[in-house]
Amino acid sequence: MPKLLIVVEHRRGTVKDTTFELVTLARQLADTSGLEPAAAVVGHQVGAIADTLARYVPRVVVVDAEPLAHFRYETHAAVLRDILEAEAPFLTLAPHTAFGMELFPRLSVESGRPCATDCIGVEVEGPELSVVRSVYSGKIRSRATLAPAAGYLATVRSGSYPVASEAGGAGAVEQRPCPAFPTPLRTEHLGYREEEATAVDVSQAPLIVAVGRGIKDADNIPQAQALADRLGAVLACSRPVVDKKWLEKERQVGTSGRTVKPKAYLALGISGAFQHMAGIKGSGVLIAVNKDPKAPIFGAADYGVVEDMFKIMDALKAEAGA
Amino acid sequence: MQILVCVKRVPDTADAEVVLQPDGSGIKEEDLAFGINEWDNYAVEEAILLKEAHGGTVTVATLGSSESEDVLRRCLAMGADEAVRVDDASFGDADPYVVARGMAAVVAKGAYDLVLTGALSGDHGFGMVGPVLAGYLGRPHATLVTSVVPDGSHVRVTRELEGGLEETLRLELPAVLTIQTGINEPRYVSIMGIRKVRAKEIPILDAAALGLAPADIGAQAKRIVHRGLSAPPAGRSAEMLKGTPAEIARKILDILRERGGMA
Repeated sequence: MPKLLIVVEHRRGTVKDTTFELVTLARQLADTSGLEPAAAVVGHQVGAIADTLARYVPRVVVVDAEPLAHFRYETHAAVLRDILEAEAPFLTLAPHTAFGMELFPRLSVESGRPCATDCIGVEVEGPELSVVRSVYSGKIRSRATLAPAAGYLATVRSGSYPVASEAGGAGAVEQRPCPAFPTPLRTEHLGYREEEATAVDVSQAPLIVAVGRGIKDADNIPQAQALADRLGAVLACSRPVVDKKWLEKERQVGTSGRTVKPKAYLALGISGAFQHMAGIKGSGVLIAVNKDPKAPIFGAADYGVVEDMFKIMDALKAEAGA
Repeated sequence: MQILVCVKRVPDTADAEVVLQPDGSGIKEEDLAFGINEWDNYAVEEAILLKEAHGGTVTVATLGSSESEDVLRRCLAMGADEAVRVDDASFGDADPYVVARGMAAVVAKGAYDLVLTGALSGDHGFGMVGPVLAGYLGRPHATLVTSVVPDGSHVRVTRELEGGLEETLRLELPAVLTIQTGINEPRYVSIMGIRKVRAKEIPILDAAALGLAPADIGAQAKRIVHRGLSAPPAGRSAEMLKGTPAEIARKILDILRERGGMA
């Protein structure tokens, strides 16, 4: 049976949900296309991670060596080339995160297997791989196929598939030797840098007013802050606002910022990029104000308003009373 | 330090309505504003900052028709020294692999210590050109870079991970880096600035000039074959609040009081 290999993303002993979302996709493709799922765990002292994965998939391939302690595309690609050669999987998956984005395009070149990144859907069509992607600011769907090859690579956007539950039973765990690395290695991992603890903690706020690209200018931030104060809410924002240095990074909600779970989230001028939406999944009621009726955020909001955010901000301040 | 920055002209779709061609082959471009890809703009700024701090030159390159020339002139106005445009009918509707082939050929014609490009593009957003290019060149790479510090024969970079976490890497030069938004504050480009570089010659390189054969860049070189676009399926749709801004505001406040626990 053709194989499907999940490359497990883990960091500092933890496996994120993104990997277990790939397990769901793998099980779907096992049902529809007869692919046989397995997982690859590459790292150092990863026995516990391999055991965890074995509760989800029938086979886990492990390469455990000291130089693999921290992910680098250079060493990981060398190990995965070796695994791909031995296993010859029809499809190899990774999450579309800082891990998958760094590794898979390079692995594609080095292994000669075509790759599609940031897929929200993956289907097997006979000998071909067909993918669905979200393009043009999330407003359009695109379908593509990969050029015919013996094996394919794909990275999958987080949240595209639900997190899998355990399969019941333990899969086989197989150790593989670590192959020789290219010498000399030209990349070195020096360490991690945590964000410093700060005064504002949006992650605990029960009521959030958030602004996005629609705020247009740094000069408009005080208006939004005044509205948040009036409503007793914490002011947060999407990535473009922080990129432009209009608000502090600690107020950024999304995959690269904070995850929030307020009772209510009022999104003003936020289009709804998936990175932002991933950060508000745990919110109660979501109200979105955007002047573009096709803004993706309306597909996830409980209540929507198609209107200029500044008109609504002014009206909210007036109606909330002095 | 000799730096090459690979840039792309894209439509601004973040704030615009995007309309499909009836046959799903593409989007209607007439009503969209085009400009430099946002991530590439940060990459150009980073290259110019490195030049200002450490000396060297900045060259910008793109693969595209004469419509892309405005984007290159804008980069020159920001402070890039040279610009080149790769243009040849055989590139066709290039996928990231073909774009990377074209850029690899440009790199081979120079002596660049560093190649920068955006971490992704605002149109199709594969995020592949940088690492694939590095693979073709056999050079080290780092994606999603949020700081660049030269360190002799190496470069120290931070990469953005998730949830505010970053990692620090040291790469041997020459290297390829893909730049994340927010790494710097790209400078403003004035009309006057663009006028000043109006007469600057922008060489056009075709496949022959780059030593590329049709097999390297034509349809058969593509690894990702476009099958068509469609509207996203209507997901769970929001209940739309209608009325005057005052009426809408009152409805929002009611919801915030009832379900958001607002006082």
